[in-house]
Amino acid sequence: MTALTATKILELTNSVSGEYCGKLLADFGAQVIKLEDPVNGSPTRRMAPLATAGADPERSGLFAYLNTNKRSVAWDVHTDVGLTTLTQLLQRVDVVITDRPVDGLKSIGLDPDTLATKFPRLVVCSITPFGAESVSEPESGQPLHAEDLNVFHSSGWGFHTPSAAQISRPPLKGAGRFLASYEAGLEAAMCTVSVLFERETSQLGQFIDISTQAVLASRADYVLGQMIAGDMNVSNDRTAYDLHGPADIYACADGFVYIWMSAPAHWEALSKMLGAPAWMEDFPGNWLERDCTPERVAECRQHVGEWLKTQHKAQVAEDAQTLGLILVPVNNPADLLSSPQYQYREFFTELHHPVLGAVDYPTVPYKLSKTPATLKSPAPLLGEHNVVLGELNAEILANGSTAERNT
Amino acid sequence: MSTMKRGGPLEGVRVVELTKVWAGPYTGKQLAFLGAEVIRVESLGSLDVTRVYGVDDINNAPGFKAVNPQKLSVQIDMKTEAGIKLLLDLLAEADVVVENLRPGAVTRLGLGYEQVKAVNPDIVYVSMGMYGSEGPLSYQTGYAPCFAALGGLSSLVGYEGEAPTGMNIRYADSTFGTTAAFATTVALLHRRRTGEGQFIDVSAVESMTSMIGDAVMDFTLNGKVAACDGNRHAEMAPHGVFPCQDGEWISIAVTDNVAWQRLVNAMQAPELAEYASLADRKAREDELEARVSAWTSTQKAESLAEQLQQCGVAASKSLSSLDLIANQQLWLRRFYQQVSDQHGQSRSILGPSWKMSRMASVVDDAPALGQHNDYVLGEILGLTEQQQQELAAAGVTR
Repeated sequence: MTALTATKILELTNSVSGEYCGKLLADFGAQVIKLEDPVNGSPTRRMAPLATAGADPERSGLFAYLNTNKRSVAWDVHTDVGLTTLTQLLQRVDVVITDRPVDGLKSIGLDPDTLATKFPRLVVCSITPFGAESVSEPESGQPLHAEDLNVFHSSGWGFHTPSAAQISRPPLKGAGRFLASYEAGLEAAMCTVSVLFERETSQLGQFIDISTQAVLASRADYVLGQMIAGDMNVSNDRTAYDLHGPADIYACADGFVYIWMSAPAHWEALSKMLGAPAWMEDFPGNWLERDCTPERVAECRQHVGEWLKTQHKAQVAEDAQTLGLILVPVNNPADLLSSPQYQYREFFTELHHPVLGAVDYPTVPYKLSKTPATLKSPAPLLGEHNVVLGELNAEILANGSTAERNT
Repeated sequence: MSTMKRGGPLEGVRVVELTKVWAGPYTGKQLAFLGAEVIRVESLGSLDVTRVYGVDDINNAPGFKAVNPQKLSVQIDMKTEAGIKLLLDLLAEADVVVENLRPGAVTRLGLGYEQVKAVNPDIVYVSMGMYGSEGPLSYQTGYAPCFAALGGLSSLVGYEGEAPTGMNIRYADSTFGTTAAFATTVALLHRRRTGEGQFIDVSAVESMTSMIGDAVMDFTLNGKVAACDGNRHAEMAPHGVFPCQDGEWISIAVTDNVAWQRLVNAMQAPELAEYASLADRKAREDELEARVSAWTSTQKAESLAEQLQQCGVAASKSLSSLDLIANQQLWLRRFYQQVSDQHGQSRSILGPSWKMSRMASVVDDAPALGQHNDYVLGEILGLTEQQQQELAAAGVTR
C-alpha cells in the first residue's frame, strides 16, 4: 500500500515547482488531478527534453518526468460552467497546489483570507518565486518577473557558485535548468504532508506559502545562519561561502573525479596512494588544518592534477576508498544508469508512455519499507481523464450536496 | 509522544536524533521548525565536529548553532552498555529516530532498525547514508560535494567547453536533509492513519540526482549526455549572468520573443529587434551576450534589475552575502528571526523558509550540551534524582 492513497489533490499550476511537488505526492499514491488549459495544456508539455521523433505535442520528456501517476482534466475555467465545476471540485479535494499569485486566488476563494471560511478543510500550497506576499512592482502591482536563474541568483547560491571563483568570470546558474524549482517543490511537499498530518486531528486546512528564494537561502544555513548571527563576516566576496583548500574536481584519463581533503588523515591517505612522493615531504602533516596557504594549495593542486591525468575514474576511486582518501568519480547520467548501486536500489523504473514508448525514469531517493513510492502510470495525455468530471458529477448527484466535506 | 507545546503541524511528535555534522541535523531542524520535539543525543566522548570546529566553547560553536536551533540535547554515552539501554528506553518513547552515522554503526551499537523495533514496533526509523543503507557501494562514505559529484549534479555545473566546477562546496547536505524530512512526514501521516511504523532508507547521492531529473531523462529518452553550458538554457536566449559596475552581476532570462523586444527597447538597440525568434537568438548567442554585457557593464546591478522588472524582463541582481543580509524580501517574510538561549541571550537565526496558517513558534537557540538532561531523563524516562546522579557518576550521561 502507499501512504497517500486517501488524499485527493488538485494541481492548478503551470510551473515545474508545482508539478514536481504534485509528482512527489502522486508517487506516494495521492490522487492528483491536473487541471489544464484545454488548448495548450501545461507549458511544460512543450519543453525539452523532447523525444527526437516527430512533432507530437505529447513528446516532452520533462512533462513525462514531472507528471507520473497523475490524471489530466482539460477544461476552461474562464467560462461560467468551468468556474462552477472548479468550485465543485474544490469541495471534493484535500489539497490544492498552485503557483498563482494571491490576487489570482481571490476570485475562487483560495486566498489566505477567504480560505478558512469558504473551504475550512482545504490545504492550499502556494509556490511562488518570492512568496505569496512578495514585494511587488510599485506601479503595476504585479509579482516580480523571475525564472529559476533569477531566483537562484536572489538566494546567494548564484553569486557563490562556483567555489574558488575567478572574479572576472560570471557566477553560474547551478545544475541544469530547474534546481530552484525542484528544491521549492520538495519543501512544498514536506509542508503539505505535515499539514495533512495535523488535519487528521484538527480537521482544519491551512494556507502554505512557499518562497523559492527563502527555500534556497535556507539551504545555506550553515554559513548564512552564522552570518545573520554576526559570527561570520558578510561581504561582496564571491568566495564568502567557500572552504579553502585543495578540494576540487580534477580531470582524469576518462572523465573527472572529485577529491575532498581537509584533515591530516586525508593527507596521509594521499601519501599512501601516491607512494610518498618527494613533493609531499615539504608539507607539514597537519597543513590542511593549520597551514592551508594559497601557495601550498596551488602546489598540491598541480601535483594532484598531473597524477590524476593518467588515472581512470572508476579504478582510482575504488583504490582511494580502500585507503581512506575521499575521491569519487564525477558521474554523468550515463554513469548513473550503469551504476551497480543504482541498479541494486532499482533507482530507475521503466514506464511505457503512448508517445515516448518504453523509457527509464529516475524514481525517488528514499525507500520506505511499508509505503514505498512507486511509478505506476505514465504522465497523462492532455485531457485524458476528463471522464473524472463525469464521475465527480455522479458523486455529487448521489450525495445530493457538495457541502458536507469541505464546508 | 511529546507534551511540549510549540504549535505547528508536527506538535506532539517526538524525534530522537543520532546525527552528526549537517545533513542529519538539518532533517531534525526541518522537523523541529514544523513543531516536532527534537532531541539530540550527544556525548562528551563523541562530539559532533561542528561543536568543536574552530572554537573552544562547545556550547557556543557558530556552525552548530546555525543548524540546530529549537532542539533539545541529552547526554548519553553510546559507548557504554548502560548508555545503549538508556537510549533504547528513550527510543521506546519516541515517534521518529533519525540517524546519519557511518554505515553499519547503528547496528554495531545495538541501535539498528530491528533492535529499535523490538522496543518500539511503531517507530519511524530514518537512516541516512551517502549511498543508502544497502547495496554494493553502501559501505562508502563521503562529504557533501561527493554526493553532488556522484549523483550527476556536479557534471552539469561549469563553463561551456571546460571541466565541470560543481556548485558551491556547501551545496548538498541540506537538500539531502530535506529529502529525509519529507519522507519522514509521509511515514508519520501513514502511521497516524494506520498505526504502522516503518524503516526509511535515504540516499544522499540519489537526492542529488533528483535535482537534475529532467537532464537524466534527456539521457534515457535521447541518449544525450548534457555537458556544462555555462549559464545557457535550451529554451531561452539570452539567459545569463552579466557584469555590472563595481564587480556586481545581474541575471537576465529572456523568456520569449516579447521579452526580447522589451530588452531591446531598454537597451535602445533597435537593430537587435530582428532576432525575433528563439532560433535567431540561439544562432547568434555569443554575439548577443556580448552586446548585453557591454550594456550592463556601465550600470549598477540593483537599479538595472529594477528597470528591467518595470518593463517586464526577468532579471535580478546576483546577491552577495552582504546583499542577502540586507534583503528586504527576506526580512518582510520574517525569514530572519530571533531566538533565545537558556540564559535569555538572544540570537538571530534563519527561520523556516515557509509560512503557514498555524506555524510552530520557533523560540529557542541551539541547546548547550546536555541542557535537557533533566527533562529527558526525569520527565520522559521517569528516573529519580538519585538514579540520574548514579548514571552521571558512572559516566553514562556525560
